[in-house]
Amino acid sequence: MALKDFRPMMERCSNCAGCKFIPFDKIKSIRFAENCPSIGYYNFMTYSARGRFQLSQSLLDGRTKLDDTVTEAIHSCTSCGYCDVGCKVTRYNLETLEHNIEQKAYAVEQGKVLEGQKPVIENLKKEQSMLPGAKKANRTDWAKDLNLKDLFKEKAEVAFFAGCKYSYEPKLQKIAQAAVKLLQGAGVDLGYLGAADNCCAGRAHQMGFLNEFKDRAKANIKAFETAGVKTIVTPCSDCYHAFKRQYAKLGLNVKVLHVVEYVDQLIQEGKIKFTKTVPMTVTYHDPCHLGRLGEEYIPWEGKEKKIFNQIHTWEPRRPRYNGAYGIYDAPRNILKAIPGITLVEMERIREYSWCCGAGGGCSESNPEFSAWTAGERITEANATGADALVTACPWCKDNFVNAVDENGNKIEVLDIIELVQQAM
Amino acid sequence: MAFPKEIYKALEDIVGKRNISENIGVCETYRCIPSQSSAHYGPSEHWTPLPQAVVLPGSTEEVQNIIRLCNKYGIEFKASTTFWAAMGYIGGDFALQIDLRRMKSIEIDVKNMCAIVEPFAIAATVQAEAMKVGLNLNIPGVGCSSSALANASSWIAFGPNTIFMGSGSENILGMEWVLGGGEVLRTGSLGSGDGWFCGEGPGPSQRGLLRGLFGTAGTTGVCTKMAIRLHPWPGPADFPTYGTVPAYKADFGPNFKCYTLCYPSWEAWARSVQYFHESDIAYSGHRQFSMFGRNLKAAMLKIITDPDKQLCDIPELLEDPYIKEQNEKMKLDYQVIIAGFSERDLEYKEKAIDYILEQTGGWKSEMMLEKDMHDYALLYLTRLGHKNLNFVMCGAYEGTFGLSPNVWRTIQVVEDATAQKRKWEVEHTSIAATGGDSAMGSLSGIGGGGATGWEFFTNFDAYDKESVRGTCKFVDGNQEFHNKYSFGPDFCRWNSDVRHMNGYNYTQEEHDEMFSKTPQPWIFAYQYKIREAVNPKNLSGSYLRTVNPEKLK
Repeated sequence: MALKDFRPMMERCSNCAGCKFIPFDKIKSIRFAENCPSIGYYNFMTYSARGRFQLSQSLLDGRTKLDDTVTEAIHSCTSCGYCDVGCKVTRYNLETLEHNIEQKAYAVEQGKVLEGQKPVIENLKKEQSMLPGAKKANRTDWAKDLNLKDLFKEKAEVAFFAGCKYSYEPKLQKIAQAAVKLLQGAGVDLGYLGAADNCCAGRAHQMGFLNEFKDRAKANIKAFETAGVKTIVTPCSDCYHAFKRQYAKLGLNVKVLHVVEYVDQLIQEGKIKFTKTVPMTVTYHDPCHLGRLGEEYIPWEGKEKKIFNQIHTWEPRRPRYNGAYGIYDAPRNILKAIPGITLVEMERIREYSWCCGAGGGCSESNPEFSAWTAGERITEANATGADALVTACPWCKDNFVNAVDENGNKIEVLDIIELVQQAM
Repeated sequence: MAFPKEIYKALEDIVGKRNISENIGVCETYRCIPSQSSAHYGPSEHWTPLPQAVVLPGSTEEVQNIIRLCNKYGIEFKASTTFWAAMGYIGGDFALQIDLRRMKSIEIDVKNMCAIVEPFAIAATVQAEAMKVGLNLNIPGVGCSSSALANASSWIAFGPNTIFMGSGSENILGMEWVLGGGEVLRTGSLGSGDGWFCGEGPGPSQRGLLRGLFGTAGTTGVCTKMAIRLHPWPGPADFPTYGTVPAYKADFGPNFKCYTLCYPSWEAWARSVQYFHESDIAYSGHRQFSMFGRNLKAAMLKIITDPDKQLCDIPELLEDPYIKEQNEKMKLDYQVIIAGFSERDLEYKEKAIDYILEQTGGWKSEMMLEKDMHDYALLYLTRLGHKNLNFVMCGAYEGTFGLSPNVWRTIQVVEDATAQKRKWEVEHTSIAATGGDSAMGSLSGIGGGGATGWEFFTNFDAYDKESVRGTCKFVDGNQEFHNKYSFGPDFCRWNSDVRHMNGYNYTQEEHDEMFSKTPQPWIFAYQYKIREAVNPKNLSGSYLRTVNPEKLK
């Protein structure tokens, strides 16, 4: 859909404020009641999903130009998708996240991008990674000595897809290696794409660089098909969302699992057993792209229809993505299964979880905004009294590691695989 | 047209560079559009005017300095919080929009049972903080997403809890206002330096002057802080919600019950309301889900309590014999919550309800006693949060046939209003065909005198221009109905004398012309004198209806 195709949504937005707060029934305090990082940081209405709808109308009507302020406002969105959940508590016919991304694409098409986005996209084109400075030649270094099958040379049941962060960053590489060993130890027949392993480009989609995303996605889909991949497992939530939702729209037809789903399943089957106690109180951060954006894509074709004169709907019933069926329980099941772990919850969890701030490329393009967003989450985590903040996404972990709460305090940040490893 | 540089620089010096913008893209997002016709200034096809700049003050002092500056340069200003309604938006060309979003503190005074709040503390957050210490506040029908302070200072504010707690004006204690001229006025006990606990002080009621019965919609200045009376809450410290988004529910425990009570006739209905009013047993009382329409309410309740259902499921649900039967039984209904402050208290209230039903021939809706339905309705009526129900069906609505008299008067006309709306639904396609009666509102508010505060929810599609225009025509026709029954301006026309259909405010000259011809023009002259005292340059829009007394001589 082009931006102009969102016009009906722009004009139908009710300004109900659902995009700015966690679902009102879930509010437990003034401190953690809000849930749009963008308006939370910048404060002007413009930065909310409601404001973005209105801004688009003004752009399309020619009253507003894509100047520096407007360009920055458009790109200062982590594409975390909370506005979509909040909106759909009430509404059945608005798609705020899709609109926000299309608004970014509208700016990108006209060359209106942020300085920090340029090296990210350039490196995607040149080195097939969205980490500036990362070299294609080094992408699979992390996988040496893991006995992973190269799927272009031999068959395996499951393809392990580490993603850029786990592939290149030394501290995170160890987690990817641990995940592979964990699965192999449980008897999973694991392979990888070898030389054809490239960035999923999911973040390019979140940033509005839709052509760059599609080019990369099509190439990857071809690689998966050539390698005969039937199941992909990834420890990265961004990759998970890209494959499960966005690639599926482009024709990818494979089973996609996040590593937490697989590990949860293996624990239930008795194939992973814990032998050590980890005496720790932890709180869990739901990554946006695993949680509310982790729902499976369902193909649909249909048309709009009004019933009872003015009630707008679709025929046949249109799939609804509102975060209801994201991946929330698997990571919690794992934590509860680890001896000694006590899980305490933050106020903003599951479908209304607060974003880590790294999404939408903001950790590169808007570092101050991104750091503030992460700091908000650290404040919330510290308010629980937990010893550590656990997550299941390398982008979240990386953003949290460098963040401090409102009092300048840090918290230990762990990938869930690290905890599993400690208990083995 | 941007402000001259010296003005912008002066504003920037007050709030800081980060908290001001004159960028057109930013300012464009501070305009009221037709889908927000809940504002009752239309519906129209126009947006409100573009402000020249937007500022985000962070303190009373900053608000005061902004208003002083506006007075110096003759700039119109309007402050708003959640921008729910058109009354929060500017109405002229040389105007400044004040967004109070940064001012959102809440302080709960347990001893004096009040919450001291800043403008952007929405009702949901005030309630969440109050419930931690066993207290609660009146959340008006507009819902918990709106500012608790704005509800109380600027609008009527009656809702489900009004039967127990009173309406907005009855819950205001000490207030802090930056008047339209830039002075800070502290009212009630606050003005005497004695804290926030009392709304009145020596001399004439400043609360009445600044707020009146219906609220002055920000025309007397900017209320920057307010103490709101809190009431006992015998429930959990936070909501034990369950269920899958968006169908959240909550079980508050055995001392809460939510019933949908139904009656065989409007006469029986009104008698039951009278019983409730006299017996003081209801914690909440609202005719709520009828807002979905007499024909659709049971089906809509099934949809909003099931995470997998959508609006396209309505026709199929309407074919379900059980839904049909339940819908028919809920035709003349309302919801009540009873809260037991002790086991015996709940027993008494249960018995009282049984007695009321016995006396009136009423019954409890079976469908609404289903666990899911009960827990949904209980949660909804307590927080007024889960789904802004006004927007679920079409995204836009207009409240029509505003019926706020005594229940006995309301029931005399409700079926006439129903017939008029139903006729329009059948003969035109501009509004949603929900079954005529879509009257929602409180049972016994506004001083507790057994008065209703109803509006018929009229849903339309703001994207469909024919729907917008057709709704306008429907609204015009309704005024004739109101004239017939001597009800004055219909709810949906309350702001027709405030803004032109193009979104601009009326001028004083236009108001003079308009109100000097009314039967009691001196009321508006009196309001002129109030406005003259607190907002001498008349810089806050035209929501306060005034006549220059000179025009009456």
